[in-house]
Amino acid sequence: MARYGMALDYKNCINCKACEVACKEENGVLLGADKHRIWVGVKEIEGEWPNLSIASSTFVPSQCQHCENAPCQEVCPTQATYYDENGVVRVDSDKCILCSYCMVACPYDARYVDDRTMTVDKCTFCSDTRLARGEVTTACQATCPTKVRVFGDLDDPNSEISELLRTREHFVLKDHIGTKPKLFYLV
Amino acid sequence: MQVEISRRRFLQGSVALSVVGGVGISSENLFSSGTESSHKIPESITTKTGSGDAKLVPTLCEMCVNKCAAIARVENGVVTKLDPNPMFPKSKNMLCPRGNAGIQALYDPDRLKYPMIRVGKKGEGKFKRVTWDEAYDAILNGTDKFKGLKQILEEEKDNRSTFVFCAGEGMAEHTFKTFYTGFGSANWLNHASLCLRTVVSGYGVTLGAYPQADLDNAEYIIMAGANRAEAIVTPDTMDFFKRTKGRGAKLICIDPRFTNTAAKADKWLAIKPGTDLAFVLALTYVVLTEELYDKEYVNKYFKGFEDYKKHILSNSYTPEWAETITGIKKEDIYTIARDFMKHAPKAVYYPGRRSTFSKNDFQLRRAMAIFQALGGGIDSRGGLVFGKKLPLKGHEVVAPMYAQAQGVDVDRKKGGHGYADCAVVSGGGSWLAFRNRVLEGRNPYPARGMFVYKHNPIMNMPNRAKTEKFMKNLDLTVVIDTMPSDTAMFADVLLPECTYLERTDPVKTFGGVEPAIAVRNKVIEPMFETKPVIEILRGLTEKISKPLFEITKKYDEDVQEDIADRGEEAVYAEFDLTIPFKHSQEELNEHAVSGYPGAAEALKKYGVYYPEREKYFKQISLNEYQYYPENARYYSVTGGKPKTNSGKVECNLKSLARKGIDPMPTWHDEYEYKVPEGKFRLLTGRHAQFTQSGTSNNAMLHDLIHENYIWINKRVAKQKSIEFGDLVEVSSKAGTIRIKAYPTEKIAPDQVFFIHGFGEESEALTWAYRSGGNDNAVIEDVLEPVYGGAAMHETNVEIRKV
Repeated sequence: MARYGMALDYKNCINCKACEVACKEENGVLLGADKHRIWVGVKEIEGEWPNLSIASSTFVPSQCQHCENAPCQEVCPTQATYYDENGVVRVDSDKCILCSYCMVACPYDARYVDDRTMTVDKCTFCSDTRLARGEVTTACQATCPTKVRVFGDLDDPNSEISELLRTREHFVLKDHIGTKPKLFYLV
Repeated sequence: MQVEISRRRFLQGSVALSVVGGVGISSENLFSSGTESSHKIPESITTKTGSGDAKLVPTLCEMCVNKCAAIARVENGVVTKLDPNPMFPKSKNMLCPRGNAGIQALYDPDRLKYPMIRVGKKGEGKFKRVTWDEAYDAILNGTDKFKGLKQILEEEKDNRSTFVFCAGEGMAEHTFKTFYTGFGSANWLNHASLCLRTVVSGYGVTLGAYPQADLDNAEYIIMAGANRAEAIVTPDTMDFFKRTKGRGAKLICIDPRFTNTAAKADKWLAIKPGTDLAFVLALTYVVLTEELYDKEYVNKYFKGFEDYKKHILSNSYTPEWAETITGIKKEDIYTIARDFMKHAPKAVYYPGRRSTFSKNDFQLRRAMAIFQALGGGIDSRGGLVFGKKLPLKGHEVVAPMYAQAQGVDVDRKKGGHGYADCAVVSGGGSWLAFRNRVLEGRNPYPARGMFVYKHNPIMNMPNRAKTEKFMKNLDLTVVIDTMPSDTAMFADVLLPECTYLERTDPVKTFGGVEPAIAVRNKVIEPMFETKPVIEILRGLTEKISKPLFEITKKYDEDVQEDIADRGEEAVYAEFDLTIPFKHSQEELNEHAVSGYPGAAEALKKYGVYYPEREKYFKQISLNEYQYYPENARYYSVTGGKPKTNSGKVECNLKSLARKGIDPMPTWHDEYEYKVPEGKFRLLTGRHAQFTQSGTSNNAMLHDLIHENYIWINKRVAKQKSIEFGDLVEVSSKAGTIRIKAYPTEKIAPDQVFFIHGFGEESEALTWAYRSGGNDNAVIEDVLEPVYGGAAMHETNVEIRKV
C-alpha cells in the first residue's frame, strides 16, 4: 500500500525521448506514433528568425497523471478502469470493451488503443514490471539523462518526492478541473 | 506479446538451424529473416519485461561513441531491457534513447548473419552464403568474380600500401588496427578526418591535449557550434542541462540554427556559418584591450603572448569588425567577453567534438583554446580539465617492416608531410584527399583493395558519387560489419560481426575528473554465424599469414637477406600475423588490468572499476550517486600547466608557418560567408535519436523519427509555396536528393538544414532504405587545408519544390 506519484523537474528536459523508448521497451508498448504511454510536449517557437523567444520554446514531458479524481475511471461502464492498491490508475483488459469513453474523458490525452488486445492501454507507473519486482522506480525515471523525474510514495513523509513537494514550488496540469493529478511539475 | 515472443524465438531458432547446416537460402533473402519483408513498421517488436528470474549483465553501450554503462536484462535467453548502470562516473546513471533501443540492433531482422561473397556485379548487392573458411579462402585466392590478396600483392610486388584500411569509431577499432599494423599498409583511413580531427589537433598543438570541460562546476559557458542537448556527450549533457536557465550556469549558445541547446540557453546568437573564428578573435580583442585576462596565468604559462596581442590589435579584430562578418551585434560581443572573464576561471568556451564544418576550423580551435587560457581556466575546477587516466597494460602486436610497401605519399619522402592536398597527414589520414587523389590518378600507386571495419564511407563522406566510383574501382573489398549498409553492398566478401551485446570488447580506461576503467561484457552468445572481430581476424590471419609471407619473400630483398642470416623461422616470427589474435578477449582484458588487484573480478561483476570504488561509491538520492568525494576528484593534475612540450600555451607556432599554415589564428577574406542569390547554405548536424548512419535501420528509433526533414525558413517557404511535408529537390555540384520540407523560423532565410544519417540506398535495410535524404549525396568535397578534414558546411544548394 502506497500512494505513488511523480515530480517532474521539467526544465531539465532536453526532449531526447529516452523516456519514451525506455517505456516502450520496458512495457512492450506497440510501435507507432499514436501508441505511446509517455511523450514530450513541444511548442513551436514564437517570433521570426533571428528574433525568437527562447521562453516560448518549452519541452513538457508528460504521461497519465494518475488522478485521484480520474474522469476516465468515472465514465468507464464496465469498471475496467480502476485504482489499484497503490492509487495507480489501471485498466483491466479483460473487462475493457473498447467503448473509448475513457479516451474522450481523459483531459490529458493519456490513453491509446493496443491493437493486439483491442483494449485501451496507458501508463501503469511500471506496476506490472518494476513495482512487481519490488523496485520503487519507473523505467522513464531510471533512464533520464538529465534526471527530470522523481517517483515515490506521497504518503511517506520521508520519501524524496514528499520532501521535494514540501520544499519546491510546483504545479499540476489543469488544476481547475479538479482531477487531482499525482504528477507534479517543479518550478 | 505472443507475436513478439514468436518473432524472437524465430530469430533464436535460426542459430540452431544454421549449426545443423544445409539450409538452402537463396541470394535474394539472405539479408532478411524470411518472415518480414514488407516496409511497414512491425506491430510487435518490443518485449515487456517480466517479474520472474532474470540474468543481469553489466555492459557498455555501442549505439554511439560515448560508451555509457548499461545493465542488460536477460529473460529466457532474450534481452528484454537495457537499463543504465549507475556505477560508471562517465555516464552517471542514464541511457539515452539510442541506448535504450540497442535491443533493436541485436534483434534487427536485417542483420548480417552469415559470411557471404559477391556473385553479382560490384555494388549490386547480390551475394552467396558461404562458410567462414570459404570466405577466408575467397579473400586469399579470389573467385571467378574478383581477385584475391595473393594475386593482387603479386601484381603489386608486395606493395602493401595498395590496400586501404578504414574503420569507424569503436572499442574494437584497436583490434582491427592491430591487423592493419601487421599487414603493413601505410594507409589507415579512420573516421577522424570525417569527424573531430581538427578540434583534437587544434587543442592538441595549443594546450598539449584535447581537454574535457567541467560543466558540473562552470558558471558561464559559451557553446558555439556544439549542440549538447541533441548531440549527447556524457557526462557533459547530464552535468550541464540540470543547471541551465538561471539555475547555476549561464549558457550562451552560438549557432546558426535554433537548436534544443538554444532552447535551454540564456542567450542564443544566430551566427553566420563558418564565421566563429571572427567571433573568437573579436572576443580576444576586447579581453586584450581592456586587460581583462588573468595576468598571472598569462605570465606563467603563455608563450608568444606579445606576438599574439600585437597580431590581434594590429589586425583590428574589433567587435565592430566582427559584427559585419558574423552577424552578431558588437554590443553582444563586448558583453560576452566581459562576462566570460568576470566568471573565469569558472568559465568555459566549450571545445565541442564535432566534424569539421569550415575550412578555418583548425584555426578556430586554436583561437578558442587561447581565449579559454586567457581566463586561466585550464586544468582547473569549472574550466577545461585534463583529468587523470588509469593506465592499462598493453599486449603483443606484430609490426613487420615491408621494404616494398610505399609510404603515404611521395611528397612526404621529399620532406613534405602530406598528400600535398593538406599540410599535415595525421595517423588517421585524410579520407577525402586520399579518395580524390586515387580517383584523379594523383597517387603514386593504385588503391587495389580495402578492408572496412564498422565504417560506412559511402554514407559518411561528402560526394557520395565519388566514393561509389572509388569503391567500384577496387579489386577486393572486405567489409566487416553488423549491418548490410550501403558500403557493405560494395563488398566482395562480407564478414558478419556480432553486435555489441554479443561480445566482450577490449577493456577501456576513461580519463577525467573521475577516472574509471570499464568493460563491455558479452550479454548473450553471438546469434547466427556472427563473430566478434577478434575471432574473425584470428581465422583470417591463420589463412593468409603464411601465403602472404611467401610473396614478401619473393619481392623483399631485406627479408631475403635476413632469412639468409637468421633462418626463415626466426624471420617469420616477426611477420606472423596471427600472434595478436591468439588469446581470447577475456584473457587480454585480464592481462590489461592485472596491475589493479581485484579489477578483473569487479569488471565482470559491475562492469566498472576504479581504485577506492568500494569506499567512495554511494547513492545520494534516487537519481544521483557519488563516484569520488569532492576532495578526491582530479580537477587539476598539472596545477594549470599546459601539456605542450614547452609547458606553455602556444600562441605563435612557427613550425606551422613552415608548412604554409598561419602560425597564429588569422582571418582571411575568403572565409567570409557568401551565398549567391537564390541559393542556400546547406547545414548538417546531429540529434539525440540517431547516430549517423550506424543506427539508420533501428526500428525503435524509426518509430521516433521516420525520416529526416529539411528545415527551410517559413517566410521563404511561403514564397516558394512549400508547405510542411512537401517533397523538395536539393541539388549541388555533387548530386541531387529529394526530401520532405519542414518550414520553420529556427533557421535563417538563406540556409537549409537536415540531419545526417538518412537516405541509405541499400535495399537490404528495411527501415532505412530511401527513408529521407542523404546529406553526403549533396555535400561537395571541400578539403580543410591543414589536416585534410572534410569541411561539411561549405556547400551552397538549390531548392525546388517537386
